[in-house]
Amino acid sequence: MVSKQLSLSTAPAPVRRLPQETSFLKYLCLAPAVIYDSVFFLLPLIFLVWIGFWSVENYRAVPGFSLANYLDIFSQFFERSRYAFAIAQSLWVAFSTTALGIFLCYPFAMALVFLVPERLQRLLLVLSITPFWTSYILRLYAWQTILNNNGLLNRLLMQLNWTKAPLQIMFTQWGTRLGLLHYLAPIIILILYLVLRNTDRTLLGAARNLGATQWQTFWRVILPLSKSGIVYSAIFGLIITLGDVLSGTILGGGTGQSILGKFPLFSSMILNEYSASTNLPRTSALATLLIGIMIVILAAGFKLARSER
Amino acid sequence: MGAQRKSGLDLGLAISGWIYLLLGFIFLMLPIVTLIAFSFEEARFPTLPWTGWTLRWYQDLLTDGRLLQALGRSLIVSPMAAAAATAIGFLAAYALNRFDFRGKNLLSALFIVPILVPPLILGVAFLGLLSRLNLQGQLLSVFLTHIVILMPTAIALVGLRLAQMPKDLEEAAWNLGANEWQALHRVILPWAMPGIAGAWLLAFTFSFDEFIIAWFVSGFEPTLPVSIYTFLGANLNPSLNAIGTIVFSISVLLLIGVELLLLPLVLKPASTP
Repeated sequence: MVSKQLSLSTAPAPVRRLPQETSFLKYLCLAPAVIYDSVFFLLPLIFLVWIGFWSVENYRAVPGFSLANYLDIFSQFFERSRYAFAIAQSLWVAFSTTALGIFLCYPFAMALVFLVPERLQRLLLVLSITPFWTSYILRLYAWQTILNNNGLLNRLLMQLNWTKAPLQIMFTQWGTRLGLLHYLAPIIILILYLVLRNTDRTLLGAARNLGATQWQTFWRVILPLSKSGIVYSAIFGLIITLGDVLSGTILGGGTGQSILGKFPLFSSMILNEYSASTNLPRTSALATLLIGIMIVILAAGFKLARSER
Repeated sequence: MGAQRKSGLDLGLAISGWIYLLLGFIFLMLPIVTLIAFSFEEARFPTLPWTGWTLRWYQDLLTDGRLLQALGRSLIVSPMAAAAATAIGFLAAYALNRFDFRGKNLLSALFIVPILVPPLILGVAFLGLLSRLNLQGQLLSVFLTHIVILMPTAIALVGLRLAQMPKDLEEAAWNLGANEWQALHRVILPWAMPGIAGAWLLAFTFSFDEFIIAWFVSGFEPTLPVSIYTFLGANLNPSLNAIGTIVFSISVLLLIGVELLLLPLVLKPASTP
């Protein structure tokens, strides 16, 4: 704590005025963030769970405690609204998209770190995260122009005589996945890049000198060292894909086809139910359900990550 | 020694690696290039080959006005929300960096958690609270709620910068007679400035692009993404390409700022390979 240089100097040692650790400043600096997060983050979330138990009378939300919203939601789990199918669709699209995203971005990040010369890396990294800085909703609109039945891609394919009928990507969950991938890719690339860049290069040289093939070096050294990056990518990927409504609506057409069938994503369902009914208590109950699903997934994910370590 | 037998494989790997990078960049850039190109294309329905150049869609933007109004609203609310979040975030990051106290980990967790909650859930939650306070359906609602989701990255980025600060710097200021406030203002703040500027830029882009919370709380004063969403319903509308090109130009300016301010913060000086 005491700087020795000062006591060695010829000038008379100044009276040290180290502020107390129980400084008033600490509270002053922390207060705004704590108060703001309490009032505008914790309070709304508590409120959300509570409103889920309210009811609606004459188009107005009425405070109270009734399980009616939840009972109604659960009674429609497999019929009418069929929430169970929407939840299954959401989980399937979220997991497959996140896995695909990591699988496709990993080689990209690796090439960026190990192949691209140092002075070019910065530029290419900035270029690869450019999409993240452009409007997501407008990127989806552009994908619409590209993927439409008579969009750019299909015209090109048909002019080249590669396909006779247009490829149906829009209004299927492949459309949804594509839009989500375009959103996730820059994030995953950045995370994996930062992790891979920190791998100790001497370890790679050591592995090669000990006779490991390139594949073995990758599988036994690089991949295990980058596990934290994969876990972070998976967590961010799942949170984003489970909560996104735009890609499923704009490219997935609301109820896009997947191998599970033509079901909407649960997130789009929440949005559409609210815009159709403006029934806030019921929407809050659905959102609370989504919180529950995400907590289960994240808890399972963290447990898995810890047990593997 | 074993280097020779691998060189053939190395070359093949290098070539396929570069091809993969190229394909990746085509995928990443394709929608952006499409957006910009077709904002100048004459035909209403984007086709190839090219039919001709026009500025009609930009004129449409001006005559219709709704998208530009929404852009104006976004350009008011996003910088302000970003500034407020960065200011609150700086103070919190300073306290977390300097002091040790009980419950510090819990507090850090509280500060990070808002980005782990999907905006969809937050949107519903914010609407529930704001409609009780009669604060819903205005630009102010977007301002108040966006600050919450912008704070975590601001705290993290400013914290990153402060962590790189030599500890003696602040103590030296105290020893030279500065009080805590003067040290914070004259020494810490200037040191943290690159981090603060980078954090503000990132927060601005997050807010500027945020759709779903704004959809729930903005009501009759939609921000740009919300306004675009209502335009999407109808059919292909090249004005969207035009507004997209304008937005992209703004982003490029910001990107240059980020390149100058943010990346040096995240990337440590290049380690020798």
